[in-house]
Amino acid sequence: MIDALTRRMAALAGLALAAAVALWWLGSTRLALDSGSDASRSADAALQLLWLVRGMALVLLGTRVAALRGWAPGLAVALGLVAPAWPLVVLAWSASAAPFGHVALLELLLLAGCLMLPLLGLGLRRALRQTSVADGLGDALGTVVGAALAAAVWFTRGLWALPSS
Amino acid sequence: MAALWVGSGHLLARCSDPLEILSGSGPVWRRLLLGLALCGTAQAAPPPRIDLVVMPAWKGWSRPGRTTELDIRLTTDTATRATLDVVAGRQSGHVDVDLRPGRAVRLHLPVGSAQAVAVSAAAPGGPPGQREVSIAQSESPLLGVGLATDDGVQLEGFHTVALAADDLPRNASAYASIDALILDTPTLSALDQQQLGALVAHAAGCGRIVVVNTDARVRRVLDGAGGCGGHALMSATSLTQAKEMLDASLAVNLAAPMSPGGIGQLAPPDPRIWNRVAVIVAAYFAVAALAVLFFSTLPVLLALPALATVAVLALLHAMPSSSQLVVWSEGASGTQLARYQAWQRFQGLVRGQTRVAIPPQLASAALPCDSAQAMRFAFDADRGQALSAGFETRLFRQVSLCYSGSFPMTRAIAIQAHSDGLRDVQNAGTTAWPDGVVLAGGLAHSLPALGPGAHTTIGPNTGKPLRDAVLRAAMARTPPDGVAALWALDLSGVAAVPIDSTGWLLVSLPLP
Repeated sequence: MIDALTRRMAALAGLALAAAVALWWLGSTRLALDSGSDASRSADAALQLLWLVRGMALVLLGTRVAALRGWAPGLAVALGLVAPAWPLVVLAWSASAAPFGHVALLELLLLAGCLMLPLLGLGLRRALRQTSVADGLGDALGTVVGAALAAAVWFTRGLWALPSS
Repeated sequence: MAALWVGSGHLLARCSDPLEILSGSGPVWRRLLLGLALCGTAQAAPPPRIDLVVMPAWKGWSRPGRTTELDIRLTTDTATRATLDVVAGRQSGHVDVDLRPGRAVRLHLPVGSAQAVAVSAAAPGGPPGQREVSIAQSESPLLGVGLATDDGVQLEGFHTVALAADDLPRNASAYASIDALILDTPTLSALDQQQLGALVAHAAGCGRIVVVNTDARVRRVLDGAGGCGGHALMSATSLTQAKEMLDASLAVNLAAPMSPGGIGQLAPPDPRIWNRVAVIVAAYFAVAALAVLFFSTLPVLLALPALATVAVLALLHAMPSSSQLVVWSEGASGTQLARYQAWQRFQGLVRGQTRVAIPPQLASAALPCDSAQAMRFAFDADRGQALSAGFETRLFRQVSLCYSGSFPMTRAIAIQAHSDGLRDVQNAGTTAWPDGVVLAGGLAHSLPALGPGAHTTIGPNTGKPLRDAVLRAAMARTPPDGVAALWALDLSGVAAVPIDSTGWLLVSLPLP
């Protein structure tokens, strides 16, 4: 029951993130169309933003949920966060100048993160159990590791920047 | 083996009957080898040889960013279907040509004035013939001089190019390469119909032309053809007078054609594609939110976005493409020709190459409005006009094509001003007018439909302020000392125009 609720919340969070980016992208595209400027710039930025916000949410929640509940719930939460933006990614790519290969590679990286980060959370959970650390501290440690990874994604965002074709 | 020595016609005959070869005496493998050798030799007929001669108009002179023309002659020794490709900077052209032995095919293709233009012609199976033509890019304005005599003409600040009749282009758009032109009667008489048509269209577009020592026949052809109230087309009795007339004309600014950007602003961008995408996005989020509320299993949470992604791609491919055409034309009251600039905007849907058809009546001078836009035109070999344009597109990308030219016009307006401020507007032409607008004194006055000879009265207080972009543009293009009438153009007679097409005709005359 709790797992179902967690999955639902993660999917709703993924939808909310994608909807916020969609709102910004469609608004800036409309402004670009009305002013006769290049609409692909906002599409490039939307793709970048979609990757960044999902990546940060993924490392934060995927690791934490896996540390608290195990690998499978962590994987479900991670996929629930990443997948809802796929239709928007396709639309933004259609409007952007970004090469398909680069966008596909970033999506594959996110999917790989969906598999690997819960494993990291699971490892954390086992390590904490062996050292008999209190549950509250484990919860906090999962959050700290996730936040550290999210910060790493943010600070290395230049590495993932989409080149324009 | 004797068969190997005979002509290819005999070999073809032998090859066409393989049973005859295979039913002969000797081992089977030897007969098979012999058959293969015979067939292979028979098909190695020499490929068609194509001779390619390329000559640029204006003796190879042009100016940066302008359009010029290539005169391309193709001959062959064997009947074949050849492909001709022309690459000039970011623009290219492609023509499929049927070639017959002994008959030269001549094409006149408009090209951008790149420093080097590559032309290649190839027949199936044959090596391509290639030529590279250099276009000299003059920083100074160009004066074209077509004189039968060897008299030299110099205008201050101009670079003079001496021309023969064959150096003049057949496409009016190629006249963009030069800034002024002096022609005498022998040169004019040597022009063919296509060249004359292009010259008249250039004159209608306010191109500065002086004709020297014209006879009555030439005067008849050019009478009334000059745009800008006839100020651009001049007639001189001597070369000295021609030079003086050009000097005087260059001291006066002639009305430049409306810029592509200016025409584009007359039509707001079509929001339909954006609206459809917004609806698709909103529908997806609504369905996805409902699905998450009712289902929480991982397969459903994964399958829904995956299916939606496929559906979004399918919808983008299934959406009808959209384009808008705006035609702006203007002329002086009573003249025979109006010049036009047209602008067609295409909005992309999917990533990749797209090809759009060009309306045949606008195809004589079709160019990308943005010279940096890479574009590939397909030309009709018989008419030398662009059939379609291909370019890279993506969702929401707006690519525009610009057209220009002239069309016959029969609008003559007579306006008489009265002392009480009333103006009497009369249709002095031979055809009826539709409803329109008279622009005078910074105000727009309604003009009812008038038959030939009919008239109407416009009061001093009946004008309305210029609120829409079209009326403001019309007023901006009306001479300060003049009045103008504006009508919507009926584009129903123009083939293959998009549904969203609008056009206007502005006819101006001096203030009475």
